Amino acid sequence: MNDFESKWQRLVVAARQAPAADEVAAPYGFATRVAARAMSERPPALLAFGRFALRALCIACLLTLASGAANYLAFAGSTDDEQALIDPVSEVFTSAS
Amino acid sequence: MAEETFDIPACLERVRRRDQAAARELVEHLYPLVIRIARSHLPRRVAEEDLAQEIFLKMFTRLDQYKGEVAFSHWVSRIAVTTCIDQLRAQKRRPEFRWADLSEQEAEVLDSVLTSDGEVAANDALASRELVYKLLGQLKADDRLVLQLLDLEQRSVAEISELTGWNQSLVKVRAFRARGKLKKLFEELERKERS
Repeated sequence: MNDFESKWQRLVVAARQAPAADEVAAPYGFATRVAARAMSERPPALLAFGRFALRALCIACLLTLASGAANYLAFAGSTDDEQALIDPVSEVFTSAS
Repeated sequence: MAEETFDIPACLERVRRRDQAAARELVEHLYPLVIRIARSHLPRRVAEEDLAQEIFLKMFTRLDQYKGEVAFSHWVSRIAVTTCIDQLRAQKRRPEFRWADLSEQEAEVLDSVLTSDGEVAANDALASRELVYKLLGQLKADDRLVLQLLDLEQRSVAEISELTGWNQSLVKVRAFRARGKLKKLFEELERKERS
């Protein structure tokens, strides 16, 4: 690594000697444009509420899907159960006649 | 930056009350700091002004998180550096480093560094800087950033840790790995130079 380290260090030492770019003022209209955009955006509280609402919507969707899946199983099983049910009234009539 | 002549807390208070004039003054005051960071970590094909604008918009969005524990300029620097890292990371493809793409002066500097032990001439400083940026441009965003801050800007590990949010061990590990990758690149360049 030493050979490389020496080469790299010689290069960066030379690079550091390059004059830094002038610290210029903001271009005309830049600050006004950025300030206008920043101030026109919704305040963070509203953004946080928006994020919270979106999260709540996702959870609600998941719950709907989960309850749908659970009930589907109950409905799917119900057809066999209905066939197995005995109608007590018709039983009474049948036995009486 | 003349932070003492500009009343930052008062300006921030006005900005929090959605005062557009105060926001403009704040942008004008911080512009030299932000543009310096944006320029030194600028990804390819990204205009420095666009990057500066993104940094300022992030700063305004997160203003409520600033509790005054560190100097405001330092807090903004951190936002600027992390925004630059995100932009650099988004740039998946890095251009291949070729001798043919170097300017005549850059090629001379690289040749002199690779083949001799002498110092690089002082009048080659600009070419050296361009060359360093091109070499660092071959590395991944995090590797590039850590070497740039450490070697070019001569920041301490503690400073880099504060600026990036990485812990000091991570900074050292990243610097070590980045040097390893750069070493391989140098070896490859030496082979190409000889052939």
